[in-house]
Amino acid sequence: MPDVALAAKTVQLKVLRYRPGQDAEPSYGTFEVPYTDDMSVLQALQTIKDELDSSLSFRWSCRMAVCGSCGMMINGTPKLACNTFLRNLPKGPVTVEPLNNFPIERDLVVSVGDFVKKIESIYPYIIPKTPKTVEEGPYLQTPAQMAAYESFSDCINCMLCYAACPQFGENPAFIGPGAMALLQRYNGDSRDGGQQKRLDTIHGEDGVWSCTAVGVCSEVCPKQVDPANAINQNKTNSAFDFFLRFVRKDAR
Amino acid sequence: MSESRPYRRPIDPKWWWAPGPYRAYTLRELSGVAVALYGAVLFAGLICLVSGPMAWDSFLGFLRSPVSIVLHLVLLAGVVYHVKTWFETLPKTMPKMIVNGKQVPATEITRKAQMVAAGCSLVLVVIAAWAFR
Amino acid sequence: MDHFDADVLIVGAGGAGLRAAIAVAEADPSLTVALVSKVLPMRSHTVAAEGGSAGVIQSTDSLEAHFHDTVAGGDWLCEQDVVEFFVSRSTPEMIQLEHWGCPWNRKPDGNINVRAFGGMKIERTWFAADRSGFHILHTLFQTSTKFPSIKRFDEYFCVDLIVDDGRAQGATVLSPVTGAFTAITARSVILATGGAGRVFRQNTNGGVVTGDGMALAYRHGVPLRDMEFMQYHPTCMPGTGLLFTEACRGEGGHLVNKDGYRYLQDYGLGPVTPEPRNKTMELGPRDRLSQAFWHESQKGRTFETPGGDAVWLDLRHLGAAKIKERLPLIREMAIEFMDIDPALGQIPVRPAVHYTMGGVPTDIRTATSLPGLYAAGECASSGIHGANRLGSNSLAELFVFGHVAGDEAVKFSRGVSASDSGKLIDQAKASAAKALSLRDQKGGGERHAVLRKEMALTMEKGCGIYRDAAGMQATCDKLAELKRRYREVTLEDKSAVWNTDWVTALELGYELDVAEAVAASALARRESRGAHQRLDGYENRDDAHFLAHSLATYREAAAPEISYGPVKITTSQPAVRAYGALGEALEAKKDAAHA
Ligand SMILES: Cc1cc2nc3c(=O)[nH]c(=O)nc-3n(C[C@H](O)[C@H](O)[C@H](O)COP(=O)(O)OP(=O)(O)OC[C@H]3O[C@@H](n4cnc5c(N)ncnc54)[C@H](O)[C@@H]3O)c2cc1C
Ligand code: SF4
Ligand code: FES
Repeated sequence: MPDVALAAKTVQLKVLRYRPGQDAEPSYGTFEVPYTDDMSVLQALQTIKDELDSSLSFRWSCRMAVCGSCGMMINGTPKLACNTFLRNLPKGPVTVEPLNNFPIERDLVVSVGDFVKKIESIYPYIIPKTPKTVEEGPYLQTPAQMAAYESFSDCINCMLCYAACPQFGENPAFIGPGAMALLQRYNGDSRDGGQQKRLDTIHGEDGVWSCTAVGVCSEVCPKQVDPANAINQNKTNSAFDFFLRFVRKDAR
Repeated sequence: MSESRPYRRPIDPKWWWAPGPYRAYTLRELSGVAVALYGAVLFAGLICLVSGPMAWDSFLGFLRSPVSIVLHLVLLAGVVYHVKTWFETLPKTMPKMIVNGKQVPATEITRKAQMVAAGCSLVLVVIAAWAFR
Repeated sequence: MDHFDADVLIVGAGGAGLRAAIAVAEADPSLTVALVSKVLPMRSHTVAAEGGSAGVIQSTDSLEAHFHDTVAGGDWLCEQDVVEFFVSRSTPEMIQLEHWGCPWNRKPDGNINVRAFGGMKIERTWFAADRSGFHILHTLFQTSTKFPSIKRFDEYFCVDLIVDDGRAQGATVLSPVTGAFTAITARSVILATGGAGRVFRQNTNGGVVTGDGMALAYRHGVPLRDMEFMQYHPTCMPGTGLLFTEACRGEGGHLVNKDGYRYLQDYGLGPVTPEPRNKTMELGPRDRLSQAFWHESQKGRTFETPGGDAVWLDLRHLGAAKIKERLPLIREMAIEFMDIDPALGQIPVRPAVHYTMGGVPTDIRTATSLPGLYAAGECASSGIHGANRLGSNSLAELFVFGHVAGDEAVKFSRGVSASDSGKLIDQAKASAAKALSLRDQKGGGERHAVLRKEMALTMEKGCGIYRDAAGMQATCDKLAELKRRYREVTLEDKSAVWNTDWVTALELGYELDVAEAVAASALARRESRGAHQRLDGYENRDDAHFLAHSLATYREAAAPEISYGPVKITTSQPAVRAYGALGEALEAKKDAAHA
């Protein structure tokens, strides 16, 4: 990392700071950071932490856009800091804020607990259609059967889609795009037979029906998961189930 | 006692007019109104038709008026925009299309669907032009 | 102080920790598992593994072949009984993952597809595109949510183990969310905290890979084994060290120097063939490839980049379609980070530190020398990797030994009763006070970020691909100095909530201890073997003196003490370790002798 004092070119970062022990509410801190062409926003933040102000807090780990830790608002758009490069941002100061729609715990760190609970609530595991023992070997699954769910399995749980979703902002209990992508990942798997069980989480205001198809979730997703598609497919499922329940009741 | 005190930032009440994708969404939804309005125009015509020749003639008169022509141009623009964006959203609302073991990309679905829609419209216009020749 | 009582405590929720947790929950749902991780489980560094996981599945393959590749790959420093066990258990674990939903790549008929990997005689690497670790970790995490007996402590940082009555009985953990400590007591403890690659400058590891668990055990008197063997991966991004998986070469990628020459043929890895050939050229083992790079660099046949000198990784001949299908992450990284589309341009690469072969020594059932303490995954030295790990063996290791660790911890927990919990909590309080004192001390104004950089630099300088006594000694001295200065650290941030300044300072304490074990073990090994190569008169393997595991024992305020332990040999006597044409010739001779 370049030396702050000697750097020829610098870039200004406006970072939203919030330290619950001392700040009543968030406010911006401004930092001048040496600029190099290959520098990511994450590296700029690390330079701040290592050399200018070690009290700045943010999450990161893999540096390669796969662990999902470093989601934040960069110039107003939810992005991964580690694969957003300064060279690709418009000239002028770069604004960095915590992800929208989540409570801020400190600086760029937001609360993730509710999101994890949502993931857990959708039965995120194979409920085997036909159980098999390890001795019986792997299930067969053709590439076409894999393609049916594969892109939904690429979700890195970065929560950018939640930060982009105005309906989640309005209703924090809304199950939201990422969790629905995961639900669809299992529902679409040829080995799985748990579709009926997962229906409960998709009904109602906190289920898929909060969604008004704004669709920005899919645009900001760094892994092309297309969570909007997962939600909308499940609107169909929810509606069908609603009517089928009547039919079933009548039959009884 | 912990100092932990998570802060909830208020959401922007005007998010729907924020530049970029949010405004595009609002415009897409608003353009749906054009479709409804055009439906209303047709419906008014239908009512006039059943109400007798006098009413029908005044409806035709209205259609020829400059106000109506401007209205129709605006509605046409709205409907075209709606159709275009509706097909752009289509892939997000339908189950995945898998052909030869591969997922058909969204852009391709949109492009083909828009072409079919444009083709159908063209055929309708041609038929209408032929019928009223 | 909060207190949580569990039956089994698992520190670390990467691949190994999650597998262990599931094993406990399946073995006995009545036992409570406390699963602690300093990041959300799916952020653990297993997520970054790209290439895949080894398990014999083709009819032309055999467990013996996997065994021999592994033992020779490890330059005969492997525990051979453990390797035998490992290869036999690996495939069932892969199948288990498949049942849990892992999207392994398939053949057109729906059967599992495997790919070639370095140092492996036959294709046996199960893969999920080039996001194998990602898919494995998410599959395991999601599956783990099925078991109510697993109580997760997400984003809790372990500051110390609780050891009483001569056995491990829990840990003291810190929640950055509140800044408060919890004492977790348990009948048995499993360490699954991953490697220590961050002690080096250019590395492929995530920020969390700081050797915490190794240091935790080490400070409690458990020696660290074979720490001098740090793996350099030959194909990483100059500067950041980010990895371009071996699968690039498994799929047929070439390494060429600045003149466009496939230089590996000059280092006993030829012949050059148009199609990839197992254990030849680019599919040689990692230590050999990284060493070849070093020689090319000495000969001036590499080129300069801002992140150090480099050679080219050429994937262009694979074609855009294959790159997209098999190496999507690599493609994405090259495009996003370097503005290079690998179908059109070559990627500059250089070696970077990747994997910690050594760690907390365990027996074949994952038990450490401290009763009640088990270790699995990269933090453990199970004995399967020897002096050089073969790519794709370490993911497999997570599940084989994670599973065993879970089973063993269950047995141990059932057999013992808890010590007086008041005593254990007192110990936790003392550990918490110690951690707090680092935050609150006045110190001498040392900044831990500076120390960390100096540590990483000196490790790279003295304990790089090639080593000599003077360089290693200088590193040892520097580390001693850094440890002194560490005591004088002053933190700017004294707050309680999400004080990452504090947590990274605690991590640096772990890193310095582990770094010291690496450097001291390296200095003491006067031979060249696998990933430990010397230039100062010890260029050859010396089985007479060093066919032995190094053991570094912690000493307060002094360099570690180095001793040696025996290596278990069952069927494979140490022999010449050869790849390419020579390797094939030797193998043919061996087969003939067998027949
Ligand atoms: C880029 C990359 C690619 C790789 N590719 C391959 C491959 O293709 N094939 C292969 O076989 N191997 C590969 N490896 C190696 C392999 O991925 C790792 O060895 C393995 O994932 C380690 O898993 P683990 O469970 O031991 O540790 P990790 O996944 O690193 O998990 C460690 C866990 O411990 C927790 N932890 C650590 N310290 C503390 C603490 N103080 N308090 C609380 N919790 C703590 C962490 O939060 C985390 O949950 C790769 C490695 C890297 C870096
Ligand atoms: S769907 Fe996309 S944006 Fe949302 S959490 Fe998953 S990877 Fe992130
Ligand atoms: S640091 Fe892992 S996604 Fe950015």
